[in-house]
Amino acid sequence: MIQEKIREIAKDLLRTKKVDLVIGFGEWTLPLRTTPLFIRTPEGADHLVWNSFCENNLAVYLHKFNQFKVGVVVKGCDARSIVALTLEKRFKRDQLFLIGVPCQRMVDRRKVKRAVQGEILHAFEEGDQIFLEGEEFKTTLRRDQFFYSSCQTCIHRTPLHTDVLMGDPVEESPLTEILPEVKAFEEKSPEGRWDYFKKEVSRCIRCYACREVCPMCYCEECFVDSSNPKWIERGQLPSDLMFYHIVRAYHQTGRCSGCGACERACPMEIRLTYLTQKLNQEVKDLFNFETGIDLEASPPLSTFRMDDHQDFIK
Amino acid sequence: MKVKNPYLPIPAVVKRAYIETTDHMLRTLELKFLKEEDAQAFHFIPGQFCELSIFGKGEAPFGIASSPTEDGRLTFTINKAGVVTTALHHIEEGSEIGIRGPLGNGYPMELFKGKNLLVIGGGFAFTTLRSLITYFLHPANRSQVNQITVIYGARMPGLLLYKEELNSWQKREDIHLVVTVDWGDKDWKGKVGLVPNVLEELAPSSENTIAVICGPPMMIKFTLPKLVALQFPDERIYTSLERRMKCGIGKCGRCNIGHLYVCKDGPVFNYAQLKNLPRDD
Amino acid sequence: MKWKLEKKDFQKFLQGLMEDYDLFAPVKLTEGVSEFKKINQPEEVYLNQLFTQKPAKEVFFPQSEVMFHYEKRGGQTQTISLEEIERERILLGAKPCEIKAISIIEKVFMSGESIDVYFLEKRRKTIIMGLACNHPLSTCFCTSTGGSPFLREGSDLFLIDLGESFLMEGITGKGLSFQENKFLKEPSEEDLNTAQLIESKAFQKVDSSVPVEGIEKRLDLMMESTFWNRVHEKCVGCRICTYLCPTCHCFDMVDEGGPQRGQRVRNWDSCLSPLYSLETSGHNPRPTGRERTRQRIMHKFNYYPKIYGQVACVGCGRCILYCPVHFDIRKAILWTSPKRPKKYEERSSS
Repeated sequence: MIQEKIREIAKDLLRTKKVDLVIGFGEWTLPLRTTPLFIRTPEGADHLVWNSFCENNLAVYLHKFNQFKVGVVVKGCDARSIVALTLEKRFKRDQLFLIGVPCQRMVDRRKVKRAVQGEILHAFEEGDQIFLEGEEFKTTLRRDQFFYSSCQTCIHRTPLHTDVLMGDPVEESPLTEILPEVKAFEEKSPEGRWDYFKKEVSRCIRCYACREVCPMCYCEECFVDSSNPKWIERGQLPSDLMFYHIVRAYHQTGRCSGCGACERACPMEIRLTYLTQKLNQEVKDLFNFETGIDLEASPPLSTFRMDDHQDFIK
Repeated sequence: MKVKNPYLPIPAVVKRAYIETTDHMLRTLELKFLKEEDAQAFHFIPGQFCELSIFGKGEAPFGIASSPTEDGRLTFTINKAGVVTTALHHIEEGSEIGIRGPLGNGYPMELFKGKNLLVIGGGFAFTTLRSLITYFLHPANRSQVNQITVIYGARMPGLLLYKEELNSWQKREDIHLVVTVDWGDKDWKGKVGLVPNVLEELAPSSENTIAVICGPPMMIKFTLPKLVALQFPDERIYTSLERRMKCGIGKCGRCNIGHLYVCKDGPVFNYAQLKNLPRDD
Repeated sequence: MKWKLEKKDFQKFLQGLMEDYDLFAPVKLTEGVSEFKKINQPEEVYLNQLFTQKPAKEVFFPQSEVMFHYEKRGGQTQTISLEEIERERILLGAKPCEIKAISIIEKVFMSGESIDVYFLEKRRKTIIMGLACNHPLSTCFCTSTGGSPFLREGSDLFLIDLGESFLMEGITGKGLSFQENKFLKEPSEEDLNTAQLIESKAFQKVDSSVPVEGIEKRLDLMMESTFWNRVHEKCVGCRICTYLCPTCHCFDMVDEGGPQRGQRVRNWDSCLSPLYSLETSGHNPRPTGRERTRQRIMHKFNYYPKIYGQVACVGCGRCILYCPVHFDIRKAILWTSPKRPKKYEERSSS
């Protein structure tokens, strides 16, 4: 079982002091959730779990621990973030011990909640099923009907460039080629697109959870916090809300691994991944580059080549 | 019954503005309320501060450098550091400015009565100390305290504040002033030495004396042990703390140290109080 | 005094209220997400969620609020303060926990030498119609903090959903003034019994075991504990818990505009942001997440109680439900108490 293997390898790493700590997932108090754990002793490794609710991108913690040797449990998307960060020289690859887990896709807890009436008190998985129990109900759902949208379109679910792999590689094909939101978006007119985006983002409460859970957002001073020059105000002006999200999406171009952590973190359930999905698709079309696949690649938006496209210069 | 809005700045104008130091980083502003009734209603004690507003830029807190004994004079010395302070450095005489205040608890003037006063200041933290010293040097108040000893240090002679006052204080009999610099220059004829060392050398008696110390964290770090070595108990060492502030009235939550707000319950505290507060840094 | 309002009359009742008051109630933003807003049509009222994401404090303390306009006229800058509100307000559908939280914020804003006039004005001119929690969540622990799903304190009128109707209890003079309303009828004995039953069931369901009792004294001894080194590790430093917390009330003040014309605005702020206490010199008294998380927990459970005699937490559970990394304040509280699991040092996070 993957969970046992993760615990074994973590124990071994900590016993032999190959790493200072292991970052993984653990059970906590709520059903359908796990929490990031920071294990420093072999005994602590017994708390590590692996299931369909390991939805966080743990690469975000590597910035805090970049002075240490760290073992980290990674899914396909998390490993892509780490490759992208290594290319940006945020840390050295040999500081990390990547415990790769071929991902069976993560379950969208909000979708699951909406499918039942009443609060879910217990949830556990077995095979393809999720068993749910509330105060006055018991039901079973098929997990493959409740994946996160970013997981549905994920191609490289087997993490690349890891130190170990906790299971056999899984097939490299997405469930849906393109996110339904992206497809619907592409079919809209420019005015329609603007209206959709504006409506989604109007709920934003500037909590910056999307930014803080994102491994790629590591700027010492984020543009929204700059006061000299002050790019945008700190209030709730719709234009400021839109500015923040547009610019953040652009800052992610060619860097976003599509992990969906931003969307999962948002308390107002704002759709965000369609923006970066679309931008990454354009990067692929223009530069034949996919984030986080090749450790030797040069990210196109931070590299200049003599044969770069010039046809946009009119 | 209309409740006063404590967030509204009171209009004032810059009467005088001049650079104090050779590095041009410290500028003193002398302000005057636009409305006479605001000037009449403004009563403060040394150690209090005001929030100065430059509309469009923002607000920042500054200790009042003038003394209530100076006929309604209101001066502040501004260190150029960020957006608001830079704007305060560029504002011209005759320009408008907003004032909210007086805020804070001020020095415990009642407790000083009948005691000796030892004032230790460093750098541009000397602002409220000027207010305190000027207050007690006034003929109406001088008899309230016994000996007044002042040690004031700056990095270089050009960085000393209030040079005019310092000169006139040097000439007086009723105050013992020692001005020192870390590095002298060719014209400097005064003392050269770090404030903690000067204090040690001077070795003022702690008997019936209250010490007030304001300065950069580094200076305080090395001077405090010297005060302790001179037998000053924590209750008789006072300081004025700084924290990032916004509202200045204990509402926005920013400046707290434990359950006390530096803007409202401070900024003046004695070390017995500080020892009980959770050290947040 | 108690009355009954049939749900079939609810829209018309609200329509009547809206003639004299500005009505603030939860409004649906998208499936599962709602917010307190001033409603224009009674149909907008959305009471399907146990509580909104952003709590009712918004109605008295908006996320972004213009404090005053300023304009230079004839060489002089005039300020126009915007604390006055014209119409009286009704806050409908706030839960007992967030209503209790308003009184917690009140103690800071409406006391002392300076009164926060913006909050005061709104508070004075608002009638609160609280809504009881028939089905608390497993994350609710209001009873551990001295509250209850049917706490009437703070409400002027208290509503209990009976299915086909609401039972309405007049709590204060302001609430009793509605007794002449033509839609309010006499409740039956059965109605009152149903309400009783719902209330006792709800009360029992809420977790009263979270050891909040005595936490102030326990935390007094814990300022330098290694506990804080681990508590903060998984926190990523977003602002969700502070913004969604009914009692959090920290704010920032900024000027928007130029020297000629503009406004001073206050926006919610969070002590968990690294910028919060960052001084212009670059010095930060709370440099890492450890100090900031400690500040948040200490403020709620030690500093505020020292001044006001009660904890600044109402046990609503929003911070637990919405934290992106599943931080659970109940665990943190548990670990300050003797009830904590033995080897907590090894469970390296909270």
